[in-house]
Amino acid sequence: MKRLSSIYFGILGVVTLAFGIADLLVTIGGSGLSFGILEIPCDAFRGGWGGLIILSAGLFYLAGIKNISEIHQLSKVMMGSILIWIVAGLDIFAMITESIPGGDRSWFNTLEGFLETYAPPYTPAIFLLPFSLVVFYYILKKERNILKKEEDEE
Amino acid sequence: MTKLDVDERWDLIDKISKKTVTFGEYKHTLKDAIGELTVKPLTGIPIAIAVLYGFWSFFSSFAGFFTDGFFVKLFDEHWLLWLQEIFPGKESWLYYIFVGDPSATNCFEAFGVLTSGFFVAIGVVLPAIVAFYLILTLLEDSGYLPRLAVLIDTILHRIGLHGYAIVPTILSLGCNVPAVAATRVLETRKERFIMMTILAIFIPCGAQLGIMKEVIPDTMGFVIFYLFMGYLIFGFILNKIIPGKTPEMLIDVPPYQMPTAQNVGRKLWMRTSSFFKVALPFVLLGCVIVNVLYLTGFIAWMGDILSPLFIGWFGVPSETAGPLIAAFLRKDLAVAQLSAIEMTRYQMISAVVLVSIYFPCVATFAMMLREGWKELLGSIAVLAMVVTLYGGLLHLIWILLGVA
Repeated sequence: MKRLSSIYFGILGVVTLAFGIADLLVTIGGSGLSFGILEIPCDAFRGGWGGLIILSAGLFYLAGIKNISEIHQLSKVMMGSILIWIVAGLDIFAMITESIPGGDRSWFNTLEGFLETYAPPYTPAIFLLPFSLVVFYYILKKERNILKKEEDEE
Repeated sequence: MTKLDVDERWDLIDKISKKTVTFGEYKHTLKDAIGELTVKPLTGIPIAIAVLYGFWSFFSSFAGFFTDGFFVKLFDEHWLLWLQEIFPGKESWLYYIFVGDPSATNCFEAFGVLTSGFFVAIGVVLPAIVAFYLILTLLEDSGYLPRLAVLIDTILHRIGLHGYAIVPTILSLGCNVPAVAATRVLETRKERFIMMTILAIFIPCGAQLGIMKEVIPDTMGFVIFYLFMGYLIFGFILNKIIPGKTPEMLIDVPPYQMPTAQNVGRKLWMRTSSFFKVALPFVLLGCVIVNVLYLTGFIAWMGDILSPLFIGWFGVPSETAGPLIAAFLRKDLAVAQLSAIEMTRYQMISAVVLVSIYFPCVATFAMMLREGWKELLGSIAVLAMVVTLYGGLLHLIWILLGVA
């Protein structure tokens, strides 16, 4: 369990770090990149500032993988996930706020227009979001193991 | 009731504590460990950067949703047209004051009390203020704000303040009025003077931010950066020249906790409603006074007098004199007025920076006066110097870059 978790968050850390670097490089380059369903924004806010946060998230993951079951190490992994939730959560919130108003034509968007807003491509943070949620499973599993151990001791 | 001697009292204490206190080994929890990460500089700074990103991203999306999504349409396509149709006497001064320019096609450019005044207050400022206070309350109630104060303490000591100064600084991004009141959390007169002065000059309020987002979305980042640099540089200078002490901070950092909806709702209502009680009369009164000043030719006269300074020293058109005078009454309205003047991108940055660092709005002015007239006079002297120096410096940067 411990080893598997370290490997998982290690890989996630490397991928997150790579996405963060890509975000920054694309922002410096000045033109956005799109590969199929993945889109790397080039604006200073989402690409630059957001990219810096994704890069930090990758570093938090990598700093926490050694002896991951120790509470201070686990908190770094948790923090890596929290940073991804901040960026991805607000990307999704921006999509929601864009999808509802109808623009110049009407007060509210049509159903087609509403659904279109949620279609790909997505930013790297949104891709990382489901993988970052695994930290919850790990914490839950760890707490269950501790409880079981305490019960066995009693 | 029998009187207990010392030994009996201690025995009673022992009995009570045995019944009420559970003794055991304290285990460090994940919440504690995350709390430690947020106050250590190496890990705390990236987290603070992420929190500020979240703050700003939420602010933009939330305010944009209501302002661009609904209020612009409501005010421009319905409210303005209705007013233009029913308000009598298109040529009269009353029409000019209340509805504004009869040929205006949007509330931003009409500048009437019932058009621009209402649109700015309800359509732009209300969503911005709600978004701002919502995030501020969440940060406060979750326990992050005291940690941010600890984290930023070292940096703020360089400008003569301590970590608690983050509270008025962040409050100021909503409205300078409660922020001036919040400077009372700082112990010494030196700290309060520095804080009051730099927040009145360099921190744009929520209303200004909302208007900047509408009027200069592309250059807003530069303006904020330039103001932030001013906050640090002039804070540092004031710390060096003003006598007095900056005491160390002693703070009780609470554990992280989930904010309750009831608390958040109550605080949000209290802050937003008090902002509107203070600000709304000033927005509407500001519109009336500015329009009267325009009608009487006072602003054009001031523009003529100040034009050598505006063109030669600041590098902005002489027409910006009007918005600068209006800025004393409402800074947000002044930024909106700037949008109607033809300027280059760089002149627009300079003009918006000038409006921001120019005299605090009249509500803040009144609040500062309550804190002491000596402090107010001192702040005004610093402000006059800062506007002249900083505005000229910005013009010099544009000349050196070859864009002015």
